[in-house]
Amino acid sequence: MDFHGHPFWWLVTAAVVVWYSTITIYVSIRGMHDIRGMLQRLKDKQTP
Amino acid sequence: MPHFDWLVDGSIVGVYLLLTMIAGLAVRKYVGKVEDFLVAGREMNVYLGIASLAATEFGIITCMYTAQGGYQNGFAGATPGILQAAAMLVIGWTGFCIRPLRESGAMTIPELYQRRFGSNIRRAAGVVIVLGGLLNMGVFLRIGGEFLVVATGFDAKYLVATMAALLVLVAVYTILGGMLSVLVTDFLQFVVMSVGLIVVTILVLYHVGWDKLVDAVAMKHPDGGGFNPFVNKSQGWQFVAFQALHNTAATLTWQTVTARLLAAKDTKTGQQIFTRTSFFFVCRFVIPGIWGIAALATLAPAAYLTLSPKMQADSSLYAMPLFLSTFVPIGLMGLLVAAMLAADMSTDSSYMLTWASVIYNDILAPFKRKGWTEKKGLLLNRAIVACIGVFLLFYGLLYPLEGNLWDYLSTTGTIYLASMSVLLVACCYWKRANSWGAAAAIAVGALVPLSFLTLQKLAATHDFVVSVGPNWTGLIAYGATALAMVVGSLLKPGKAEAL
Repeated sequence: MDFHGHPFWWLVTAAVVVWYSTITIYVSIRGMHDIRGMLQRLKDKQTP
Repeated sequence: MPHFDWLVDGSIVGVYLLLTMIAGLAVRKYVGKVEDFLVAGREMNVYLGIASLAATEFGIITCMYTAQGGYQNGFAGATPGILQAAAMLVIGWTGFCIRPLRESGAMTIPELYQRRFGSNIRRAAGVVIVLGGLLNMGVFLRIGGEFLVVATGFDAKYLVATMAALLVLVAVYTILGGMLSVLVTDFLQFVVMSVGLIVVTILVLYHVGWDKLVDAVAMKHPDGGGFNPFVNKSQGWQFVAFQALHNTAATLTWQTVTARLLAAKDTKTGQQIFTRTSFFFVCRFVIPGIWGIAALATLAPAAYLTLSPKMQADSSLYAMPLFLSTFVPIGLMGLLVAAMLAADMSTDSSYMLTWASVIYNDILAPFKRKGWTEKKGLLLNRAIVACIGVFLLFYGLLYPLEGNLWDYLSTTGTIYLASMSVLLVACCYWKRANSWGAAAAIAVGALVPLSFLTLQKLAATHDFVVSVGPNWTGLIAYGATALAMVVGSLLKPGKAEAL
């Protein structure tokens, strides 16, 4: 692996790309579920 | 020649804007009470919280100052992001301050202070939060407009129109749907923004290459300051110390971060949002930082001549959008602009709403003993959001920004971060803390950075203020504020009150 003399910043950059890509996919799926749940609970609260 | 194509890229941006407006307006029917408007009925779950916090804390303004940090200070420019990630992780994991804050059931931080320090402190806290927050946010719209003008190649004479259009779109759904619209649009904006940021970063790393990025930084900082903040001439230990304090204080009391904690459905969810979003704060500085370094590595001196004369005077701020304007291909440019619009809209909407919540909840509401009806409360909140929007437009046009953008944001943020963080820690964990100490801390915490900003504008004191610099100003502000809290509290006679 060629870090060009800066392994710390290479690893930070790699971690950023990998972590952010993963979390984007995961949060996109789970967040949708959260929105549905939140709106359902608010709807239930509004119903007398 | 910028790569923005009106047909291809314009269509992508148009579809994004249409979807955002539909999503933002569709949920307004769920807003029945002030609590729904300000904290989404406290029904937010953890993944929506992560998306919302990440989208809010990354705007075009973030992209611009972190890219400027990369352009000027290389990889060391990402230091504040690493410090904030560490603060988020530790605070989220331990629940330091945020657990008692969420469990108190307060809607804003000053509301918590009232229980310990009285209603005058609540109002004073509200005033400094709004003052610091609005001065901080005042430059967002202008910088956002400037990014779009440079990256897409719009004529600079359309800057005001671009700013106004951006503001109107955000204001419409924020005014009607409050926090609920903000959360739902934040989610959509998180997805669009993240895809755009990741794709462009991979493109930069692939085409410009790691070696070229490192070489550009090494050439600009032969002493190694581009990789290590402690040996960087414009940073040093003072910068690191101030940023450690500043980012910890922001994690504890920055109104937009706190709003997510208080909108969370319970304390555990609030803490999880903090821990699981923590690494995002590294991404937030590293990604645009890499874009800034790529601009440093690839832009020829002649490229800067395409900027307006005013922008050429501080080209470090505009180098990144200038680089992207010719680096990102047609088609992807539409995704990039949509991503940046998403980033900006989510930030502006949240900031307008959270500062409006403090004006309503902590400055105006305490004067009205019987309180307003829900209908009047909602109307008032919407009017405040609209007023903040108008303020943003005019402040952005009139305030001449001087020096490094991150330094300006840190200094204006310190106006309230220093005092509010000291008050929060004392409120939660120091039994002898009282209203005298709180009042002294608020006054001192605001006075130091406000003096810096004012004296910087006066010819007679300009050079002295520049020699002191924002890092020492920040350190003095935090130190003096803590001292004021301790001395003020010890001077007041009588028994201490528990929270």
